Amino acid sequence: MTVIGTAVVRTDGEAKVRGDALYTVDLEVAGQLHGRLLRSPVPAGVIRYLDTTAARALPGVRAVLTAADAPAVRAGWLVKDQVLFASDRIRFEGEPIAAVAADTVEEAQAAVDAIVLEIEELPAVCDLEAALDAGAPLIHPDWERYETDLPPFPRRGNLACEMVSDPPGVDEAFARADFVVEGEYRADRQYQAYLEPKSTVAVYEDGRFIVHTGSQYPFNVRDRVAQFLDVRPSAVRIVGHHIGGGFGAKLDAALEPYAALLARATRRPVRLANTRAEDLLTCPSRENAIVRIRSAVTKTGEIIGRDVVCYMDNGAYCGEMPLMPGLPLHMAGANYRVGPTRVISRLVYTNTTPTGAFRGVGGTYCCFAVERHMDDIADRLGVDRREFRLRHLFEDGDRLLNGQPLDDAGILREAFDAVEERAPWKTLAAPNGRYRGVGLAAATWLVNPMPASVTLRLNDDGTVGLITAANDNGSGAVHTGLVQILADEFGVSPTDVIVNAPDTDLAGYDAGSQGSRTTHVVGRATQEAAANLKRAIADVAATLLEAAPDDIEIRSGGAHVRGVPSRVVSLSEIGRASKATTGTLTGSGNYASPLPEFNPACASGLLFPCLWTPSYHVHLAEVEVDPVTGNVHVLRYVVAQEVGRAINPVAVAGQIQGGVAQGLGYTLFENLRIEDGRYVERTLENYRLPVAVDIPPVEAIVLEHAFAEGPHGARGVAEPPILPVAAAIGNAVSHAIGQPITKIPITPEDVLAALASPGRNGSRR
Amino acid sequence: MQLTLTINGRDHQTDVPVGSTLLQVLRDELRLTGTKEACVEGECGACTVLLDGNPLDSCIYLAHAAAGRSVTTVEGLVRSDGVLSDLQQAFLECGGVQCGFCTPGLLVTLSAFLDSGAEPTREAVTRSIVGNLCRCTGYSQVVDAVQLAAERRAAGR
Repeated sequence: MTVIGTAVVRTDGEAKVRGDALYTVDLEVAGQLHGRLLRSPVPAGVIRYLDTTAARALPGVRAVLTAADAPAVRAGWLVKDQVLFASDRIRFEGEPIAAVAADTVEEAQAAVDAIVLEIEELPAVCDLEAALDAGAPLIHPDWERYETDLPPFPRRGNLACEMVSDPPGVDEAFARADFVVEGEYRADRQYQAYLEPKSTVAVYEDGRFIVHTGSQYPFNVRDRVAQFLDVRPSAVRIVGHHIGGGFGAKLDAALEPYAALLARATRRPVRLANTRAEDLLTCPSRENAIVRIRSAVTKTGEIIGRDVVCYMDNGAYCGEMPLMPGLPLHMAGANYRVGPTRVISRLVYTNTTPTGAFRGVGGTYCCFAVERHMDDIADRLGVDRREFRLRHLFEDGDRLLNGQPLDDAGILREAFDAVEERAPWKTLAAPNGRYRGVGLAAATWLVNPMPASVTLRLNDDGTVGLITAANDNGSGAVHTGLVQILADEFGVSPTDVIVNAPDTDLAGYDAGSQGSRTTHVVGRATQEAAANLKRAIADVAATLLEAAPDDIEIRSGGAHVRGVPSRVVSLSEIGRASKATTGTLTGSGNYASPLPEFNPACASGLLFPCLWTPSYHVHLAEVEVDPVTGNVHVLRYVVAQEVGRAINPVAVAGQIQGGVAQGLGYTLFENLRIEDGRYVERTLENYRLPVAVDIPPVEAIVLEHAFAEGPHGARGVAEPPILPVAAAIGNAVSHAIGQPITKIPITPEDVLAALASPGRNGSRR
Repeated sequence: MQLTLTINGRDHQTDVPVGSTLLQVLRDELRLTGTKEACVEGECGACTVLLDGNPLDSCIYLAHAAAGRSVTTVEGLVRSDGVLSDLQQAFLECGGVQCGFCTPGLLVTLSAFLDSGAEPTREAVTRSIVGNLCRCTGYSQVVDAVQLAAERRAAGR
C-alpha cells in the first residue's frame, strides 16, 4: 500500500499545533544583542549630514554602524546595484542608513532616534513612462559600472531591463484586420503579508558568520551576506527554521547582512527584527504594472495579430526583477492562438521600495490583461465569451511565442470541459436582471527548473535522514511531498523520515521554495538519491542474507531476497551492521529540469526563456455586485487544475484554496498604492487582507495527467492557483455591471464610478 | 511591577516592566513562544489567548489587567495526558495547518468556540475566526477541521 496519493499528515504538523515549533522570531541565543536600523524617511534625496556620536554614547549601545564601517562594495542577486547603507543618495523610503546593536530593543531604538541625519529631499521619480524620458533624473547614474553575471541584456539609465520580441507579420496583420481592439490594464502592488515578520539572529564565530533566518532560499541569502561583507561564500553559514509564510518575499536577503555586520563588530550574537510597519514598507512586493494590448481581429471573429507593451516597476534596486520582462512574452500568446505578436516589456527603476517575487510574479496582471482583453474582443464581436475562447484554444503541439511546443496543451480543453460540467456557462452568462456576472480565465504556468541536491542516510534505527536545503515555505512540499516520496521508496512510515533544518554547511545547493519546484525538482533528486542509497543498502544486505546484490529488493522497511519471502533483514539491522563495518550508508542525487525546445532568437533581453514543466488551469468566478456600496461578493469559485499527480490530495487542495484566497485579496481587498514615492497603506489596519468571511470554499477539480519527468508524474502545484483569479473576477464584475474593469484591485469606488459612467452597456444583464 | 496570574493552570509570579503587554509577559518573561507576535496592532489575531475563557488579542492587552486571572495559551490546549485535543488532531487531518504561524491563535479562538456549545455551522465557525488572519490556507480547511472535531465530540469520540 503506497502512501503516494494519500492524505498523510504533515510531519511538522504536530509541533505546530502544540505551539512548540520554533520560528526565527522565537529564537533566543544566549548573550544576544538587539539591533535596529535607521531608515530613510524620504523616498529620494541626498544625505547632507550624518552624525552618530550622540547615539554611540547612549546606555547599552554596543555598536553604531554606517557605510563607513561596511566594505565599499555593491551586491545584488542578478545585478550588483545595491549598497548596504545609503551614504550619499537615498533611493527609497525605508532604505537603511545606519545599524545599531544594544542590550535591549528599547536602547537600540533610542540610539537610532539619536542619530543626527539631514537629507536634502529630491522629487521622487515614480512614473514608469516619465522615468524613461530624456532628461529624467537617473536613479543610478553609475548604472554602466554595475556588474552582472548574466549575459548582456538591454538596459540603460532608468531602464533596468528591456525585452523585445518583434517577429515578422505583425504590422501586416493589423493592416488587413477588419478592426482593432485595444485595452490598457493596470495593477497596483501586492504585499505578501506572511504572518511571521522578517527577523534574523547572526553569530560571528571562528571567523565565520552563522546566520539564523527563515529564508525560502538559504543559498541565495548566503551569497548576499557574503557579497555585502566581502567574504567568500563559505564564510557564511545559513541555518533555517520553520518559516511563517514567505510567498516569494523571503527568497532574497533582507536583515541578514546587517545582523552579520553587527555581530562581527560587537563579537556578540545580534537579533534584528522588523516591526510589521517596517516589514510592509520594505518588503519586495509584487510590482505595479501597466499592460497595453492591441489585437487585430477579422469580422469573422478571428484574432490574427497582437501587439503588447508592458511597463513594470523595478523599484530602487533590481533583485531578481530583470527576469520578469520575459513573462509578458509567454503570457501574451499562451492558451489561445492569436497570430504574430510583438511584445515590448520594460522594467523601470523608480524611487520606491525594490519589488520582487510574490507567488505567480507578473503572471497575475498579465493573465488579467490577456483575459480581460479576450472578453473585450468577444463583447466587441457580440459573441459568447466562452465560445470565443474555445475557438482559439490551444491544442496539443501548439507553440508559445518563444517557439516552445506545448505537447499536452489539449489539457486546456479538458479543463474548460471540467469547469463546464460543474458550472454550466449558458445559465450563468444569461441576462439575470440583477448585478450578477460570471467570468472565465485560463492560464499555462511553469515549474522553476533550477537544481536540487539531496543526500539520504540510513540511520542505525532504520529511519532515513533527508539532508537538503529545500524548505517548506508552508506548502507541505517537504513535510508531505518529499517525505511521502521517501516513505514510498523504502516502505517506511512517513514519521520515520527525519528531515533536517536547512543548513548551507551540511546540505548541497538547492534553489529554494519558489516556482512550485520543490515536490517536482527536489522530488526527482530525492528519487535519484534513494536509488543510490538502495544500491549501498543492497550491498550490505547481500552479505547479511548471503545473496547477490542484484537479487535484493528494498521495500516495506527492509531488504528482501527476490522470490524468497523468508529471507529478509530490516533497515535498522542493516543500519546497525553497516555502522560496525563500513560506516553510515548514504546516497546522493541531483536534478534540474531539462530546457524545453524553444527559439533563442525570438527576442532580445529574454532572461526567462521558457515555461518548463507546463501545467494548465481554468478558473470560473460568479459574483454579485452591490450597486449601492460597490462591494463585490464572490458567490462561487471553480478551479480546474492540472497537477500531474496529487502526491497528497489534502495538501493540493490547500494550495488551491490558499492561492485563490491570495488572488481574491489581490483583486478585491488589498491595495498598496504609491503617491510621490511613498506607500499610502502602512499597517495591517489599512492594508486590508481577506478574512475568513471574505473567502468562499473553492470548488477544485484536480486533473492528473502524469508528466513523464515528474516524481510519480507530479507537476508543480503551488503557484498557479493565484494566476487567473484577478482575470476571472475582473471578467465577472465587468459582466455584472456592463462596464469594463481595467485595473487591479477592483475597489468599491471603482465599481461605483463604472456604474455611474455614461455609455454603460446594460443590455447584457 | 509584580504580577501574579495563572497560565495554563499553573500560578506564575513575575516582575515585569510597567506597561508590559500580556503578550510580552508570555513570550519574553515566561518564554511561552507558542503565542505569536505578528502585528502589535490587534489586527491579525496571531497573539490570541483566552482570558478567563474569552479570546482576546494579547498584543494590545496590558498585563496588569490580567493580574489574578486565568490565561490559556496554545500550550495549554493539549489534554492533561499530553495527547492532542480533538481540535488539534482535526487540524492535522484536514490540512488546517500550513506554515503554522497563525495556528496557535486560531486554535485558541476555535477551542473557545467549540467549548461554548454554539452550533458549528460553516457560517458560525467562519464568523468566529474573522479576527484571525491566515495567509496560507484560505480558511476553508480550518472550518473543515472544526466541523470534524465537533462531529467527533458529539459522537463521544
